[in-house]
Amino acid sequence: MTRSSARSDKHGLGMIAEPIASPRGGLSIDQIVDAAIDDAPSALRRRLVLQTVDWSGIPAPRVAGMIANLTRQGLALPRWLAGALLVAGHVLPAELVQTPDHRVLNQLNRYAADKEGAISAADIDPLAARENIEPDIVRAIVTRLRAMGASADACRLALAHWRDVPQAMRPIRPDLAAYLAALPPLKISVAGFSTTDPLAADLSSAFGAHGRNALVTQSDFGGAITALLQPDPGAEAHVVLMDLDGFAATDWRIPVSQIGDLMRERADILSNALDAFAARTSAPLLINCLPAPSAPTAGLLDRRYIAGRRQAVELVNGRLLEAADRHGNILVMDADQALGDIPAARHSDPKLWYYGRVAYSADATRALACAFAEAWSLAMRGPAKVLALDLDNTLWGGTYGEDGLEGLACGEDFPGNAFRAFQQECLRLKQQGLLLVALSKNNADAVTVFERHPGMALKASDFAASAINWQPKPENIRRIAGELNLGLDSFVFIDDSPHEREAMRRLVPEVVVPELPEDPASRPLWLRGLKCTWPVRLTEEDARRSEMYAAERQARALKSSAATREDYLAGLEQRLIVETVNADTLGRVAQMHQRTNQFNLTTLRLTEAEIGAYVRDPKHGFAFLGRVADKFGDHGIVVAATISVEGSQAQIDTFLMSCRVIGREVERAFLGTLLTFLAKRGIERVVGRFAATAKNGLVRDFYAANGFARVDGTEEESSWAFDLRVQTPPRAEFVSVQLEA
Amino acid sequence: MDAPTPAVQVGYPELVDIFDDVFQYAGPLSHDTSPDQVPRWDSLQHIALVRAIETTFSIGLSMDEMMEIRSVGDIEAILRRHGV
Repeated sequence: MTRSSARSDKHGLGMIAEPIASPRGGLSIDQIVDAAIDDAPSALRRRLVLQTVDWSGIPAPRVAGMIANLTRQGLALPRWLAGALLVAGHVLPAELVQTPDHRVLNQLNRYAADKEGAISAADIDPLAARENIEPDIVRAIVTRLRAMGASADACRLALAHWRDVPQAMRPIRPDLAAYLAALPPLKISVAGFSTTDPLAADLSSAFGAHGRNALVTQSDFGGAITALLQPDPGAEAHVVLMDLDGFAATDWRIPVSQIGDLMRERADILSNALDAFAARTSAPLLINCLPAPSAPTAGLLDRRYIAGRRQAVELVNGRLLEAADRHGNILVMDADQALGDIPAARHSDPKLWYYGRVAYSADATRALACAFAEAWSLAMRGPAKVLALDLDNTLWGGTYGEDGLEGLACGEDFPGNAFRAFQQECLRLKQQGLLLVALSKNNADAVTVFERHPGMALKASDFAASAINWQPKPENIRRIAGELNLGLDSFVFIDDSPHEREAMRRLVPEVVVPELPEDPASRPLWLRGLKCTWPVRLTEEDARRSEMYAAERQARALKSSAATREDYLAGLEQRLIVETVNADTLGRVAQMHQRTNQFNLTTLRLTEAEIGAYVRDPKHGFAFLGRVADKFGDHGIVVAATISVEGSQAQIDTFLMSCRVIGREVERAFLGTLLTFLAKRGIERVVGRFAATAKNGLVRDFYAANGFARVDGTEEESSWAFDLRVQTPPRAEFVSVQLEA
Repeated sequence: MDAPTPAVQVGYPELVDIFDDVFQYAGPLSHDTSPDQVPRWDSLQHIALVRAIETTFSIGLSMDEMMEIRSVGDIEAILRRHGV
């Protein structure tokens, strides 16, 4: 098929839209679509064709005719069809539009058609707060808002739905940078045990949804421990991305009995680094716990086996939670909750891991970024303090004034048990520290329902205040806020009536007004998920338990306390083995030359053949590699250099290192070893060159830091010399070296 | 309003959006467009490119295909192979 035919395909049927030249003179696709619209009731019943029609190509009168036809046959317009028509820009009769998101889109379509009935922020707010809006609807609303010039509203809505509907960002992408730049900035420092670039990028959208312009800086690759030990003093928030493989890959040469010990040691290092962090800064640290592993290393015994991934995850998470108990500024984000709606097998994408050590899939990264921002926002703002509750059809089923006491549904039996469960959730929130307030348009005696009706979980005494009268609720809530001496922004208003919610939003915009689900059955769990009520601090009992933990841990911590970067490096027991490149290792070294961008002094992309030339003729040059191992395992070949020799002078042509071991003195140990080797060979002077690229700023001062003197050069390119006759090669304190050349 | 859409010389107009999203690249796309013309097309953004192709066209790329992509033409060849 050719693309031009697909583009002219007015019914959006994709590749089957070739004109059909049926040998029996059958229908064309266009005719089939027309027939389905003409006989919509039958097409709907048989689920044919209408699902795939591109309604933007269908004229409004035909749509109106179809709807009239359905109505004649007593069929309601199905919600998916209403959605598809609205997305295509059609204006529907108001009575056929059922949900708030459809109503807003319908209104925007009408505005686009005749510039009547504009939209205000109060219409967008509930949509921004509402989850589970169809992706196409979100995107269509965002597109229309932008087209009518409400770019900020469009950005706000797109950001609010970005986690589940990333495609809604597309229409506003040209405006997004300006929108974010207008928000108050927040300096965030990001570190991890694997590649953090995708997370860093996603954090800007995630924090944008919470009204902040995230200015993200990243630590060196894998530099989480170093970043915790030396927290960036300029950062207002710190994020550490945890992943099991990056944190501690298992070396299966190590006896199983020791694998568990090593994991515990690793966890201790992390735990101590968290203590050091908390001692050095009071800025919040957001760190995710490890999500439940998707691929076990011990099958069904994964939780029990000492080298099981599940056991490792639980060990590490236990340490994280203890650290959070000890330090108020360490916020452990629950990755299992954050990733809950993504199947475990899609939490990571192996291809990305092998390609660039990206630990989480795109969907998972986005979900984690949103959860980090959510956790930060909640911790900064604190949870709401007051739950203002309507009575009729909110706390109980039915209307007291009309149905009387006996007519109200609330108790052990269906359907009253859903209302009773909702009341139980209110009691839970009361126990977690929220004040309950009754806010109802009723006769004052409605409050007696709580004592007189046997099914009520709540009692009148559970309410800190109430306003049960016929005054407007916005007036009542202002009065109660005054009585309780609390700000209106600490109130959450729960009411089943969309009109009451709308009035509250317009007249008291400070109050949080969530969209209570229409179905009482879904309300108890909905209330649990209502983030503005989530506690951020532990109760006293939890706090006591954490004191207990702390004592337990102190006894254990004496053993290994890596509180400084130096102690940490010393504890790693790093070993560097330096070898000359040979036929077996040539391939890996050449590949490093192609792929290494950051720690690369000259970025000469030498090929296998070119490196081979250094190897073959030791009179004229050398090619070296270094393998690194530490007590947690073997990192393999991570550093390499080529050196050409002329008389008593040597030049380092290439010097590069995998970012996996940056910040651990490996480069210093390697360079020192090479210089010592060259000195023994009678070389007197070694020249090194630095050539700047967009990515290698990291090594700009590498030669200076290792005792080389600048010979000449510019910012872009410079030469450095080391005089072996008078200078001593640098040594790395924390790396033991073995030369096999 | 939107900037003028660059001339499309490729078989899959979605690629224009993808290159805009991933690389903020709004220049002309042709079969020969490669990292040489697209400044942000580096090894890291290559991951983002692959992710965008996978989500946009609802396909999964293998590791070999990931390495195979060195130009827009390579992407088109892979898409055709996937029956897109």
